[in-house]
Amino acid sequence: MRELSVLEAVREALFEEMARDPRVLLLGEDVATLGGVFRASEGLLERFGPERVIDMPMAETGIAGVAVGLAMRGLRPVAEIQFADFIHAAMDHLVGEAAKMRWRTAGDWTCPLVIRTAYGGGFRGGPYHSQSVEAFYAHAPGIKVVAPSTPADAKGLLLAAIRDPDPVLVLEHKRTYRLIRGPVPEGDVVVPIGSAAIARPGNDITVLSYGMMLHESLAAANAVAAEGIDVEVVDLRTLLPLDRATILRSLAKTRRLCVVHEDTLTMGLGAELCALAAEAGVLEVPPVRVAMPDLPGIPVDDALEDAVLPNRATIRAALIRLAAATPSGSVQRRAYDASIPQASSVVEIALPPEHTRTALGAVVAACRAVPVCNAAFAWSGIVQHPEVVVDCDFGPAAPARGGGTITLIDYGPDGADLAIPFVRPGQTTALRIGAVRDGRAFVACSVDHRAVDGADVGRFLAAFTAAIETVRAPETVHAG
Amino acid sequence: MTPAERERAYRALSLARALDERMWRLARAGRAHFAVPCSGHEAIGAGYALAMRAGLDWLSPHYRDLTALLVLGMPPRDVMLHFFSRPSDPNAAGRQPYAHFGSRRLHVLSQQGPQPNHCSHGVGCAWGSKLLADGSASVIAFGDGGAQKGEVHESMNIAAVHKLPVVFVVHRNGWTQSVKRENEYATDSLVARAAGYGMPGIAVDGTDVEAMFAAAGSALERARSGGGPTLIDAQCVRFLPNTSNDDDTRYRDRTALEAEFAVRDPLLRARSLVSAAFADAVDAENAGLAQDAADWAEAQPHGDPLTVAEHAYA
Repeated sequence: MRELSVLEAVREALFEEMARDPRVLLLGEDVATLGGVFRASEGLLERFGPERVIDMPMAETGIAGVAVGLAMRGLRPVAEIQFADFIHAAMDHLVGEAAKMRWRTAGDWTCPLVIRTAYGGGFRGGPYHSQSVEAFYAHAPGIKVVAPSTPADAKGLLLAAIRDPDPVLVLEHKRTYRLIRGPVPEGDVVVPIGSAAIARPGNDITVLSYGMMLHESLAAANAVAAEGIDVEVVDLRTLLPLDRATILRSLAKTRRLCVVHEDTLTMGLGAELCALAAEAGVLEVPPVRVAMPDLPGIPVDDALEDAVLPNRATIRAALIRLAAATPSGSVQRRAYDASIPQASSVVEIALPPEHTRTALGAVVAACRAVPVCNAAFAWSGIVQHPEVVVDCDFGPAAPARGGGTITLIDYGPDGADLAIPFVRPGQTTALRIGAVRDGRAFVACSVDHRAVDGADVGRFLAAFTAAIETVRAPETVHAG
Repeated sequence: MTPAERERAYRALSLARALDERMWRLARAGRAHFAVPCSGHEAIGAGYALAMRAGLDWLSPHYRDLTALLVLGMPPRDVMLHFFSRPSDPNAAGRQPYAHFGSRRLHVLSQQGPQPNHCSHGVGCAWGSKLLADGSASVIAFGDGGAQKGEVHESMNIAAVHKLPVVFVVHRNGWTQSVKRENEYATDSLVARAAGYGMPGIAVDGTDVEAMFAAAGSALERARSGGGPTLIDAQCVRFLPNTSNDDDTRYRDRTALEAEFAVRDPLLRARSLVSAAFADAVDAENAGLAQDAADWAEAQPHGDPLTVAEHAYA
């Protein structure tokens, strides 16, 4: 299939629909002679003439209001508001008039207009050429709001919007215009309003996004796939009305929700999407929102804008956090355990200079007492090893072989008194015995805290200390 | 005006007054939610509506233009259905309070709360007439308070730039609810504004139905012939408070107002255009029509809550 940019797809939709339906006309600032500041309407004036492609005065209120009147007369105006940042001057006509027209007259009057506008940041436009405005308009029953992110949807949704019997706001992310290219089917392929799309199937987490953030979300999803996190990315495409069925079907599968939008956080679309999921009772962990912080505007300086807009890195971090979250229903609260000696991962114990077999036996005993210390972390759950296989690291002359289920480090009298052991892949716990001084030694324990909490460390060290008193032969030992 | 046109004008003014007085009393008695009186404004709507071609031309009315609705063919019972906000009201289906007129059948664009958002709607409608080349023209009426909004500036400018077939009519009663003219605009009249848009302006006594008819007739003729828009500044007296929720004794002197109204009441002035016998007979007939319409409309059922979400979308 041929590939177009989002901008070319928008232009093609305008061309085809104006050719198909003589009621369609285009009005806005700079749309005729210049072909739009983004060139979305380039060539339309030459093809359809100044009666149908109209350069309007710089008057957003008037543009929207005149479009309402044209639509009431049965024409199909497609008004362009050059930047979404300027649309608030038209809000009264969109929210106060167009949205209510059918309802307030019980269908006697209707208002089938389209307003297209370019929104979104990421190109150093500053506070008045970068805003995302969707939350204001998605809060207005009576209109429909679409936000395509691919060329095929940019065309298909614009065709649907122009043919819709009700007012539709089409939000086109200006960074997608030239950056995003993709296949666009030839001919009259309409994308129905109110239908989301699965942009990337997955099983572990559902990401809901749209516009430029959809592409950042897809990049983040691909990045965390290497870490074993299988993300489903849903392209909302229509923001009002939401495709609740597709959203909830995905969430019923993954039970974990991350919403990504460029709009500011508070009262943004993410709030509604999280409420939708919460009310449906489908989440096993709290949802995560990745959004612009609550600032009055998007700054123009490169470093400052990059700092406030979500991107694939911040989305990736959110996905990892969400994948690691523990279902709140499965947390087991325990009473205070007096047998845990101290809230520390280091204990000082009495130990003879020759203690290797004693220590190995104590590690095995401690693993039996606290099995989570003889386990491996995976995103899908914690796997306890059926047997204890101790990886022994007795110094440079006798390093660990690997392949065990827990690591014991003991450099003998030449080692340091205290050092931090490292947890090896496939294990959750590593134990290090320091040099023995005057019959005593420090024992340090490191754990993978995704699997083992602090109380478990205390229990493990308590069990180890108790077992040191009893010499027992280890079941399996890789002696160095 | 021909004798027949004068009689039509008087009939409309008399019926509007009869309905207006009944609505005012019913609202004050708590029988309905909201009244918007038109007393003093009747000649403006009657004048321009008589100059329109009903069923062809289009209207975005001022909320005190009850006479225009009557001239264009709205039955008194429909007016009262609207006043009582019943779901069978063809204007607003029980969803908007009184004086939010609208009727596709009568070519009256649905009206809204925020004034005067219908100006640009009317301009879009007039643009539709030009694009569809159906020979129709539009009238857009609004108050002198509303005229201070950017909406009106943008609408008049766009209409002038594209020579749209439209007539702007400003009801200039000198009050924006409680705010006097001096706090709304710095000139005595608004007619000079027309020149700023490159359109002709006509100043007219809005209490004189014949003068209003003549001004609207010439402006509509200019619109139909491709000459573009005209602004008519129609000065009048708002005899009653702004709405049934307003108390105008807090901001104006009723005694002086009544003295002024005694000589500028459009209905009294229109009596001189017809015979006393005709006027008396019409007044009596209209009193009966108003009472019948009110009694009938008040008896119509309220809405079914199950229908409240209907027509949010197609």
